[in-house]
Amino acid sequence: MTAATGDTASASSAPPPILQLRGVDKLFGEFPAVDRISLDIREGEFFTIVGPSGSGKTTMVRMLVGMDKPTNGDILLRGERINDVPANKRPTCMVFQSLALFPHRSVGQNIEFPLKIRGVKAASRKERALELMAQLRLPESYYGKGVSQCSGGERQRVALARALAFDPEILFFDEPLSALDYKLRKILEKELKDIHRETGKTFVYITHSLEEAMVMSDRIGVMNKGRFVQIGTPNEIYGNPSTRFVSEFMGEVNILEVGPGPDGTVIDQATGASYHAPPIADSFAGGSLVIRPEDIRFLDDTASPAANKLEGVVYNEYLLGSRVQYQVRVGDAQVFLVEKLREQQLASARGGRVTIAWDAKDSTIFPTARFAS
Amino acid sequence: MNDFSHRATWAYGSAMAALILFMYLPMITMALASFSRSKYFSFPVPKYSDKWYLEVFQSLSIRDFFWTSTVVAIAVACLSTVLAFFGALAFARYDWKGRRLFQKIILLPILFPQAVLGLALLLWFTALGITPSWQATVFAHLVWIAPIATLVIAIQVYSFDPAVEEAAYDLGASRWQVMREITLPLLAPGIFSGFTFAFLLSWANFPLSMLSSGADSTIPEWVSAKLQSGYTPQVPAVGTLTILAAAVVMAFGYQISAFMKRRQVKAG
Repeated sequence: MTAATGDTASASSAPPPILQLRGVDKLFGEFPAVDRISLDIREGEFFTIVGPSGSGKTTMVRMLVGMDKPTNGDILLRGERINDVPANKRPTCMVFQSLALFPHRSVGQNIEFPLKIRGVKAASRKERALELMAQLRLPESYYGKGVSQCSGGERQRVALARALAFDPEILFFDEPLSALDYKLRKILEKELKDIHRETGKTFVYITHSLEEAMVMSDRIGVMNKGRFVQIGTPNEIYGNPSTRFVSEFMGEVNILEVGPGPDGTVIDQATGASYHAPPIADSFAGGSLVIRPEDIRFLDDTASPAANKLEGVVYNEYLLGSRVQYQVRVGDAQVFLVEKLREQQLASARGGRVTIAWDAKDSTIFPTARFAS
Repeated sequence: MNDFSHRATWAYGSAMAALILFMYLPMITMALASFSRSKYFSFPVPKYSDKWYLEVFQSLSIRDFFWTSTVVAIAVACLSTVLAFFGALAFARYDWKGRRLFQKIILLPILFPQAVLGLALLLWFTALGITPSWQATVFAHLVWIAPIATLVIAIQVYSFDPAVEEAAYDLGASRWQVMREITLPLLAPGIFSGFTFAFLLSWANFPLSMLSSGADSTIPEWVSAKLQSGYTPQVPAVGTLTILAAAVVMAFGYQISAFMKRRQVKAG
């Protein structure tokens, strides 16, 4: 175990990790879908793996539940190597993207399936199923109903109840909410978080939506090209993205390609403008300056002091519910996104001249990696 | 507009009626011929009689042919359903190296002219020293019918989400339990139609039987032989009975599949 480097040391206060990955690889031919990942998942936490499609998150979860084997590395459950334990022998289970409800079985039979496999008697199976249905707010009358007669949200609850009936040590989710409409998804995200608290189980959730991850998770691992680019709490990820990829993945941001300038400033490589930015290393040779749309403000008075000031013309306004987004054209080629609360909506919108400003501390610098990130 | 659609409906209706008439008139004619008293068919039938049927039922040789046809059809239906079940999973469910080739190769016997296929098989039987018999016929039928049953079941395989099997496995079921609890019940309608199809195709097959059965003749072989020499209205009588038997099998199959559907809707 001398090779176990760079992993979070199990501090005495932190609960012991329930699931550990040690240098796990999954190669498809030459291509590493999952690339030398080491990770500790703590007992009882809600851990979300988030990444764009093709980032390797589905491959990863298939290995974690036992549907695929890693090419290299070890997966440990409570310290025991489980690489070669097949899915049906692992004390974990998954809620599938398609939910994979059994179409020829009723709601009750679906939920009871794992109990039936274990040889639990019909009466106690039914008792447990009704208990879970009550917990997930499925009416008792649904017990004998066909799953095809259930709505999208009800089907989610049946799938979750079936997984809970299995009583897994870790419950995995492979984007189960992605097919639902926005409003229902928001409701179910919160319900899922409640269920997590009520059951105290370890949840590992896969999604491509960082927004969804933010709502539910204790910790988030952002994946790209088979690797974790950042692991942290939602606050850490949002407040302190570690790479340009993470900040871009979080939503629409302003990105400027910059080079080093005098006195710790940076020079916009497109326009030659110079900006105040957070402190940069001496070795800084160029990179991306990222500014969130909500961190840019409109100045009423062009004379008022601000670290970075630009004049531009509003050429688009989008209402985003409680917020308003503006596209501000600066010069000929640059467009800045600015987001405000609805109360702060500009009086004269399209075509109006505005001054936009932001502080150095609200921007983030990501030096260009010397090697492809 | 209304007038046009009225006329269109009328035209469509008559086209359908004509189609059905052309398809089923020959069979009706055959039924009429079998009930006609005279040896040669004329229309309208001058005098009805059931004597040909009595002769058919009393004929020991026809009973033998009927028995051979039934045994062959049941054997073919059973064997090809088993082969087709696994074939369909290989065809439509699992990704494996030779799958695309398998999908093409399995279609070939269906497209071959059956007389050619039968001849090829006969040459092989002779070369291998196998005497043509009803067992050889079962084999010959399988070469043609098992691929068809495979396609019938494959359609059902395509219609279900493979994640359902994975979910059952993930929830602790063994491979065998997944098969029994999930795969088989979900494929049951397809398996059943594959079986019915196989039975009916074997029951009615002539060219493959003729080239492979040797001394064990089937009903279609007997019909063909009698048409060439020694026609009596026993031929249409047997023909009518054969079609009736097929219709009974089909009606029975329809009832069973309707029952399965009802049970599935009730249960899930």
